[in-house]
Amino acid sequence: MTAHKDVTMRLDAASDERGGPRIDREAVNTLVVFGLSIVLILCSRFISPALGSWDQVLTVLTLASFLVVVSFGQGLVILIGGLDLSIPALITLGGVLTTTWIGTGDQGIWYLIPLILVICAGVGAVSGIGIIWLKIPPFIMTMATSIVVASVALGYTSGTPRGGSPTALLWMMKAWFLGVPVVIYLTLAFILFGWALQSFTAMGRRLYALGTNREAARIAGVAVNRLELAPYAISAACAGFVGMMLVGYSNGATLRMGDSYMLPSIAAVVIGGSSILGGSGTFLGTVGGAILLTTLGTVIAAIGLSEGWRTVIEGGIIVVALLVLRGELLAHFGGRLRRR
Amino acid sequence: MTALPGTEVSVAGLRRRSPLLRAVVSGTGIVALLYIILYALYAFWQPSALSVFTFTDLVNNSTPLALAAAGETLVVISRGFDLSVAGVVSLTNVLMAVYPLQGPGGALVSLLMCCAIGALVGGINGVLVSRLGLQTIAATLGTMIICQGLSLVILDAPGGTIADFVTYSLTDTLFGVIPIAGLFLVAAVILWLALRRTDFGIGLFAVGADEQSAEFSGVSVRRVRFGAFVGAGMLYGVAGFMLSAQTATGNPTAGTPFLMLAFAAVALGGTPLSGGRGSLVGSILGAGTLMLLQKVLFSGGVSSFYTGIFQGFVLVLAIVFGSAIVRLLGKDAG
Repeated sequence: MTAHKDVTMRLDAASDERGGPRIDREAVNTLVVFGLSIVLILCSRFISPALGSWDQVLTVLTLASFLVVVSFGQGLVILIGGLDLSIPALITLGGVLTTTWIGTGDQGIWYLIPLILVICAGVGAVSGIGIIWLKIPPFIMTMATSIVVASVALGYTSGTPRGGSPTALLWMMKAWFLGVPVVIYLTLAFILFGWALQSFTAMGRRLYALGTNREAARIAGVAVNRLELAPYAISAACAGFVGMMLVGYSNGATLRMGDSYMLPSIAAVVIGGSSILGGSGTFLGTVGGAILLTTLGTVIAAIGLSEGWRTVIEGGIIVVALLVLRGELLAHFGGRLRRR
Repeated sequence: MTALPGTEVSVAGLRRRSPLLRAVVSGTGIVALLYIILYALYAFWQPSALSVFTFTDLVNNSTPLALAAAGETLVVISRGFDLSVAGVVSLTNVLMAVYPLQGPGGALVSLLMCCAIGALVGGINGVLVSRLGLQTIAATLGTMIICQGLSLVILDAPGGTIADFVTYSLTDTLFGVIPIAGLFLVAAVILWLALRRTDFGIGLFAVGADEQSAEFSGVSVRRVRFGAFVGAGMLYGVAGFMLSAQTATGNPTAGTPFLMLAFAAVALGGTPLSGGRGSLVGSILGAGTLMLLQKVLFSGGVSSFYTGIFQGFVLVLAIVFGSAIVRLLGKDAG
């Protein structure tokens, strides 16, 4: 038993020494991902003259905004070594509550939007409680919350959500300002906020500490249990907000509106250079991953490949990205033994 | 030295009590009891539940999930998670719907094809995990996504038909009493009981309990992990085969519900998700209990919209109680 512990500690120490060069590699990874997106957009001109234009760039960025927001939450959860599988259900919850409670009249929108986000965050916190205090593996706990929430949404709407989009959300998703959609400005603000929160605040640094070595973080005085709750709540609130964005974008809610964001949210984080074991990665990398995936999606659609091939390619990219980051995985082998 | 006699007595006492205690308190015992109680409740609300027809129907409904959960158990015992179950079930179901092979021979070929696909996906998982050092969740997430994509490529919307022989004979009964689908479960149980005693079976538990100790004691961790994934994949393949017999049609997302339900069945069957312990028999009973629960809720007047709520709670409760029992047993033993 002691021998096993010694090995674990030694390996952790080894991975801690890599703190310096790792930052550089993350920056390189982020640049590579952004570069690939630009190259892909430029190359897509050869496929169809309609692609590769400024308008197409704006379309890609608008479509990517949904993924950027959910991936922020997913990224925080992955940062602490978890996995959030409840994102689709919470997108649906956010969307359904928005159309049924607020609807087209914008009545009480100023307190209902925050209320819905708080409800979503509360659901995420319930996942967190199950993971932290009941010691249920993260992906199973979020899967359980997910099926409960989906079932509630199904029962509440009796299968078909009523109501339409509030005009404020329609404006947010459809309006243009100075030749650029409003949502792109908002996404940019969100990216800056998320990047600052994850990389430059005390809370963000504590999350890295928690993801790298939970025990060490606890000894260093981090309130690990309370801190671990935050990513799940934030992720759920982000998903709820994406539900609202989708309501504004397509003027209504459906029960399956969140389904197509589950896998891309994980893929964006992994492609962005975060270790699936937690403790590394930046939000800027994830943003790059989200934009690359969205670009790839539009190009695949333009070529005429089906949804199935798109999924296959996404899965392939995840596996390849994981293998590329394998060196880092081996360095975290101690973490794997501890947390699986 | 003075303390020894007392210790001996208590150890001997424990040993005498242990097999009985373990049989009753073990996950398999509890889930079997739960199944009987639920069945009694079902029969109370729905007196026809005691007929051969209803029982056959129940076994037919439970078999795909039971086989998938049995496969998942192999990976969970070896201290891993396998998400590819959803992908393999969808993929095999879609293939059977798009390429139906008629007659008994065709059914056999289809079964072998399903097994082969499962083994292939399991083998890829095994290589990714044991050779390339990927985390089990990450590797199987990747293969699950790829399999789901391939299912969509093969069949982009629900449709197609399964061969008649498969749909009729595999949902029928033998001598009018024994559900044929149940024979697949019996075969899985017999294979498991035999496998458990082999080097591979012992290695499976050893790797799950403590990977390093197992390696030091001469167990090939790589080979055991690889074997667990391949075995699991083959069982998922058979699960997809039985699901096709059940639904008689193809659906590219047929496997999606299996992901959560398989883990729920494993946890309900008393296999702790931390690995090193557990039983395939418990998982099969766990799967049966989950399907029975749906029937009981339905006959109890709960709208089918809300079954998900109960499934989610059962999953969480099963894991919490399961780990509590493991802790209790651990205290008794040590």
